[in-house]
Amino acid sequence: MRNMVTLIQRILRGNPTLFFVYVILFVFFVFAASTAPQFRTVYNISNLLRQAVAFGIVGIGQTIVILSGGIDLSVGSLISLAACLTSGIMIGNPTLVFPIVFLVLGIGVLVGLTNGTLVAYLRVPPFIATLAMSAILQGSVLLYTKKPVGGVTRGFMFFANGQLGAIPFAFVFWVILLSFFLFLLRRTGLGLHVYAIGGNQEIARLSGIRVSVAKVAVYVISGFMAALTGLFLASRLGIGDPLMGQGFELESITAVLIGGTSLAGGKGGIEGTIAGVLIIALINNILNLLGVSGFWQWIIKGIVVIVVVAAYKVKE
Amino acid sequence: MKQEEALRMVNISKYFPGVKALDRVTFTVNQGEVHALVGENGAGKSTLMKILAGALQPDEGEIYLEGEKVFIPTPQSAWERGISIIYQELNLLPDLNVVQNIFLGREHRGRLRVLSYSTMIREAESLLARVGVGIAPQTMVRNLSVAQQQQVEIAKALSLNAKILVMDEPTASLSETEVEKLFGIIRDLKSKGVTIVYISHRLEEVFRIADRVTVLKDGKCIGTYSIGELDRDKLVKLMVGRSFSETFPEKAKETGPMVVEVRNLSVPRILKNVNFSVRAGEIVGFFGLVGSGRTDLAKALFGFYPHYSGEIVVKGKTVKLHSPQRAIAEGVGFAPEDRKSEGLCLGLSVKDNCVMAVLDEMRSTFFLNRRRETGLVQKFVADLRIKTPHFYQRVQNLSGGNQQKVVLAKWLATRPDFLIFDEPTRGIDVGAKQEIYHLMRQLASQGKAILMISSELPEVIGMSDRIYVMHDGAIVREFGWGERVDEERIMYFAAGLHVER
Repeated sequence: MRNMVTLIQRILRGNPTLFFVYVILFVFFVFAASTAPQFRTVYNISNLLRQAVAFGIVGIGQTIVILSGGIDLSVGSLISLAACLTSGIMIGNPTLVFPIVFLVLGIGVLVGLTNGTLVAYLRVPPFIATLAMSAILQGSVLLYTKKPVGGVTRGFMFFANGQLGAIPFAFVFWVILLSFFLFLLRRTGLGLHVYAIGGNQEIARLSGIRVSVAKVAVYVISGFMAALTGLFLASRLGIGDPLMGQGFELESITAVLIGGTSLAGGKGGIEGTIAGVLIIALINNILNLLGVSGFWQWIIKGIVVIVVVAAYKVKE
Repeated sequence: MKQEEALRMVNISKYFPGVKALDRVTFTVNQGEVHALVGENGAGKSTLMKILAGALQPDEGEIYLEGEKVFIPTPQSAWERGISIIYQELNLLPDLNVVQNIFLGREHRGRLRVLSYSTMIREAESLLARVGVGIAPQTMVRNLSVAQQQQVEIAKALSLNAKILVMDEPTASLSETEVEKLFGIIRDLKSKGVTIVYISHRLEEVFRIADRVTVLKDGKCIGTYSIGELDRDKLVKLMVGRSFSETFPEKAKETGPMVVEVRNLSVPRILKNVNFSVRAGEIVGFFGLVGSGRTDLAKALFGFYPHYSGEIVVKGKTVKLHSPQRAIAEGVGFAPEDRKSEGLCLGLSVKDNCVMAVLDEMRSTFFLNRRRETGLVQKFVADLRIKTPHFYQRVQNLSGGNQQKVVLAKWLATRPDFLIFDEPTRGIDVGAKQEIYHLMRQLASQGKAILMISSELPEVIGMSDRIYVMHDGAIVREFGWGERVDEERIMYFAAGLHVER
């Protein structure tokens, strides 16, 4: 018990923001569990986790971009594009699964490379570069298809819908991704350099960090994660929809902000985004269970973002 | 003893758009010496050092290290050659810890290129010990004082095995005791064979620490002298072509009525029972070490601490200074310590900054009256001799001295009776300093009451009619009219030695 207390004290002192956001998550969870009996079913919880994974994957990429002082608004359209290409080419053919996965992830990397090059070498502000990229991608996917297209194989659907015993496979996959990127940010040179660049680009440059290379890497990661999210959504629903990814860019930024990462960069991390993603998934889930209109969900998410970010600022 | 040459920069030129920052400068430093580089702001000191550090490329010229010709295209290549620079604005990231900052850009990697923090922490501890400070290596830099951050920078330079260490204005924001400690560290490094290039505005320091001095003026090298050949007057003359004796204007001969009287002013944990007064026509100096509450006192008088207790009387009337707006309305003006972040909007023009505090007066119904604005600015640019090509010049493009004059214009526009100057000459070159001194004295003789905070003792003694010394949030000593003061006596009280005996 005393160990617990000192541990909590240490976390509080080391990172009060992180502690705060997990307290909020806990409060939401208790609220959900006590108000809606349907919430406590295994089915609902795995459903919630699956929902969280979609935001969770793209949220990892977004966190890293924001930590570097940038922003990626192109993830939403990239997700739609990835999902439509997946189902539209696969059309239930099992032999095409692996080539398509590589193709789609490759496109994600390519989009990231382009974003990164625009931002790092041509000095286009990230907001503008990725906004423009978003328009280009959304246009492309709508030229490709205007309605849900194709279909995926039964085996491919395991990715999003499969179970490992009581635990959704997708959740396990997310946890593995999370540990990988937590490690990347905390223990590798690239991770430290992302924080340094977000903190102060000039200092990073004068410290001999290859700022442009790191920036490109960051957008490549984000593009890759968005493409992965597209694959995930195609697998989850069995079909790609050209407007599937709409709102993911803002939703992922919301999760990052709730998680305590500073939009100015250099401060925060994936630890917080995990909580941010779960909080958003919880809000969606509980309001669905209570039969509250989807529009209310927007209003409540907006309020949560304002309250949380204001609380961070007051703390500072 | 024949000294080995550590560094020779030959005929270095550097052009910026519209300016020739360096004009065929030649600069030679011997092994193991402390070499001071002095000159007015804009003389090219920092540019020259940035070229040495690989942060800028020269347009012409050559660099020789220990006789060997080198190119320094990037900061890394400077480190690899043992050149390390501590910039004036500290270059640490507040949200990373000490270890991460020390090794940033050249982290120790273990297997699979993973960062090995245990090695870095161990090495950081030994580096910090060499600097002689006890900072926990995993402290966030945000939580360190300026002096500690500088010590971390020195540790970082040591980790690079620096043979040449450049320090750009290292004492600008240090208190006297911290400066002493820094000098101790510099002497220690020197005894270990490190060559130090020391850039400073504070000439007393140059005389205390340097072996040789190189003077730059308007991008040209005036000459290199060993410290024995120079005295203060001579050095100042080389820098500006003026004689030093005219530095401080004559003091006030008589004073007018009481303008500000402060009784028992307290702010919890910040100020304790402060009592003082300022009369029209006098300049009252406040001296205190960092943390003594001198800047907090100024801020309290300007309405930054609405929850103060005690009484503030302005021109015979007790006032409640609960906000800067109130303070301005009561005739208080405040030229803050950090003019770039608190005094000016750097991206706005000279005109906009001048009218900033009196926008209401510039307004006819809804719109700003341009003629009224221009009239006001014209007057101040002429009165204060602000050197600017036109009124629409952004203030970030002005020199430090002219920026300070714009701050002054902004407050004079409010027609204050009481002006607070916090470090009025920080980061300003010698020539401009004198102009600011004369302006302040002129304002006093026009009947304004002036409170000046300064951490430069000669300035406090030279400018003030009376001096208050602060320590630990309280006034510990007043030196009245005509009372004998010298630097040691002030320091004695400021350092709190009168109580600890």
